Amino acid sequence: MPSWQDFQPFIVTGLALGGVYALSGVGLVVLYRATGVVYLAFGAVGAMGALIAWSVTNAHVQAWVGWLACLLFSGVVTLGYGMLFGPALSKRDPLVKATATLGLLLVLFGLMDLLWTTSGGQSRAITLPTDNSGFIIGQIQVTWTQVIGLAAGFAITAVTGAFLRYTKLGTAMRAMANDREITATLGVPVRRVEAAAWLGCGLLAGLAGLLLADMVALDATTLTFLVISSLAAALIGRLRSITLTLAAAIVIGLVQNLLVPIPSLSNYNDMTPFVLAATALLVLSRRRVIARSREET
Amino acid sequence: MIEVKDLTVRFGGVTSLDSMNVTFEPGTCGLIGPNGAGKTTFFNVLSGFVRPASGSVRAFGDDLLSVVHFRRARWGLRRTFQTEQAIEDLSVYDNVAIVHEHARQGGTARRRDVLDAISFAGLDVDPRAKVGTLGAGQRRLVELARAVVGRPKLVLLDEPAAGLPDEETRNLADVIGRIPSRTGALTILVDHDMSLVSACCQTTAVLDFGRLIASGPTAEVLRDEQVTRAYLGTADVT
Amino acid sequence: MLDTADARTGGRRQFRLRRPGPGTLVRAAVVTGLLLILLFAAPALLSAYYVDSMTQVAVYAMLAIGLGLLVGRVGLVSLGQIAVFAIGAWVTARLLFATSQPYPLVLLEAGASTMAVGTLVGLPALRLRGLYLALITLMLAGAFSIVLATTNFPNGGHGFLGYNGSSVHIPPIRRPSIATTDPAYFRYAVVVAALMFALVYAHIRTRPGRAWIAIRQSEPAAIAAGINTTLYKLWAFALASFITGVAGGIYAGAVHFLYSIDFPAQDSIILLAVVLMGGVYSMWGAIVAAFLLQLLPALLNDWGVSADWLTILFGVGVLQVLTTAPAGLVDQVPKDLARLGRLILRSTGPRHRQGVSEHDRG
Repeated sequence: MPSWQDFQPFIVTGLALGGVYALSGVGLVVLYRATGVVYLAFGAVGAMGALIAWSVTNAHVQAWVGWLACLLFSGVVTLGYGMLFGPALSKRDPLVKATATLGLLLVLFGLMDLLWTTSGGQSRAITLPTDNSGFIIGQIQVTWTQVIGLAAGFAITAVTGAFLRYTKLGTAMRAMANDREITATLGVPVRRVEAAAWLGCGLLAGLAGLLLADMVALDATTLTFLVISSLAAALIGRLRSITLTLAAAIVIGLVQNLLVPIPSLSNYNDMTPFVLAATALLVLSRRRVIARSREET
Repeated sequence: MIEVKDLTVRFGGVTSLDSMNVTFEPGTCGLIGPNGAGKTTFFNVLSGFVRPASGSVRAFGDDLLSVVHFRRARWGLRRTFQTEQAIEDLSVYDNVAIVHEHARQGGTARRRDVLDAISFAGLDVDPRAKVGTLGAGQRRLVELARAVVGRPKLVLLDEPAAGLPDEETRNLADVIGRIPSRTGALTILVDHDMSLVSACCQTTAVLDFGRLIASGPTAEVLRDEQVTRAYLGTADVT
Repeated sequence: MLDTADARTGGRRQFRLRRPGPGTLVRAAVVTGLLLILLFAAPALLSAYYVDSMTQVAVYAMLAIGLGLLVGRVGLVSLGQIAVFAIGAWVTARLLFATSQPYPLVLLEAGASTMAVGTLVGLPALRLRGLYLALITLMLAGAFSIVLATTNFPNGGHGFLGYNGSSVHIPPIRRPSIATTDPAYFRYAVVVAALMFALVYAHIRTRPGRAWIAIRQSEPAAIAAGINTTLYKLWAFALASFITGVAGGIYAGAVHFLYSIDFPAQDSIILLAVVLMGGVYSMWGAIVAAFLLQLLPALLNDWGVSADWLTILFGVGVLQVLTTAPAGLVDQVPKDLARLGRLILRSTGPRHRQGVSEHDRG
């Protein structure tokens, strides 16, 4: 059994990752509540954004241009998807809407492999200027990137919470989560609110993509499927509560990383989000008898 | 006879049924009330889709609530839904036969029972025709045939005439009126069409905000002031 | 049995109550003809490369019909079929290395194990609403892929896992004694696939098939009709898992060597996408899906075109299918032709059926 000291660095990485999972999870939750779509392509969009940022830096352009390109790409693609396919699918079951985002995932996945192939064995990396500076707490080294990861998670959660509660646009989003049709009859510009939600989610996807590419790996497959960790947090938050999503994300990040130094469990640490989400889903389903039909008087 | 005692159903903060007490006599009974009164919720309790917070339902001496929902068809429960649910991909025959099959009503008599139910409902189509090819009125009749096939004890009809033109509604009223005499089942009809209710139901119960506010012979109930007020929504209900 | 159920959407077949009508006979003739061509003419006409691809088509046809059964008949979306496939392959490999049981028996055992897994997962999972069920299958499949990466596939070693990490010489997974060559194994695979299709067909035309249609239309109405929906949903899960497991078994014999990278997570997504494109309401849809999944990539590979284009195509395809033609390609083309025909004859056509699940009532 490893010592306390062996665990320490993993607490830091766990918290940092958890923070990024949180900002992704919050993005997923808000989009779901505004549009009913579980954006499974979140990771793929961020991944491609990160690869674009890499290409920009690789072409010897200023790094910040690359980051901007990443955010722009993720925002535009997500907004574009939402405006193109949102209306056509708006009345469909959430399952159908989520499956449709898998279509976007596949398109991006294919594009990424085509444009940034890894079959030649090349590996790429993204480094942020904050990677190389940091400070020391006790005996642990903490980079500013890690601080940003954790802080971003909390900040996004807090800002989003305030936004949903105190602004007109945010209140409109909450109203739409309850009933899109009724909200429309109240004179709320439903399409514009949805567009805002899609754009916001897309931007968060880009940010998460950059941070995860830096912290984990700049690999299309890895980044695309990391969405599952954020999704797990969002599911534990019942796709409803962003504070619960934040808490769950931090726990997932921590547990996932704290298992690494334990030899017998190390290989299985990536199972953490899957197991936690599956358990949460099963526990939450116990109370349901049968799906109510919509036609109640 | 159906005895409902102190039936209460809560969904989150809303009390859909509030200590509902009512007795349904044999024959055809109407169940009316404004939107949101709890009529479909009551049907959902009888079907087993909703668990009441408290209360009991005794139907023909049996504790209905203790029967597992899918077994209630075997017990003798039949039901139609507000939005029609006839299975489009199956034929008329299969739609009706599926109820007979799963309500375990006996294999050898199935063909006869199913065709009887189809003709009772007044369906003048080839039983092999796919329901998807039929018009709205005919589909409602298919549902009605499903509701009377076999040996039903309790038939629940939830707005069976919704969306139908007058003539087909009259046709439906005629069929519904004959259900108790043909099957011996107690029929409860929920509808907003008062002419339909008057035409088929000997007695009627009225729900408002999950509570029973009137019950008795249909003609009297429909003239009751409280009932009119509940529908028109004026301030006080004493 | 007076069986008039026909599960194809939009079809207007009318059967005599006792004798099969002309439609069924024609279809039976076509299917038999195709099978004969596949079994006898194809191995002779195709090169070794394409015989291999066609064997994979047979395997994936079984995967597709399993998933199509779940999605199309019962309305359950599973994102974890590749995991079940991998388990079937794993069990087959383990048994083939550890015992000298005949191949058909091993296949049955593989199918039985995946059936057990599918039922175990189904029991708690089926209470979940469609979206959550799909997500939980995704989660469980993800967890499984990690376990698989660590345990690996059996390679002739000892112990429960049958994996020897330091083996230099890894024995190939054996094939049935009557089908050791590639063309012979292709025939074997086609026969097994045909048997699985026949099994599904037998279900669709009898009580479970009708119950599934009722459940897909509306679960509350099905319960009200006396259908034990949990039982029938579990049955569909069990059947789909069984077939997927058998497919895994055939795959093991086809490739001789199994690696965990052969079962990547995105394959479950691609499988779902293509099955949706091929059409989930018809058994032919599964065949179309299998060709899209295995023959098309083989062709592209032969012509030097990257398979990534296919991934992109499938992504676009699933978007198109879900937004416009939920029944998939197989249903849409004949439906369009039929509608044209009716317009010409000037009679009213049937209502166009929309929707993948019961909530899609417009």
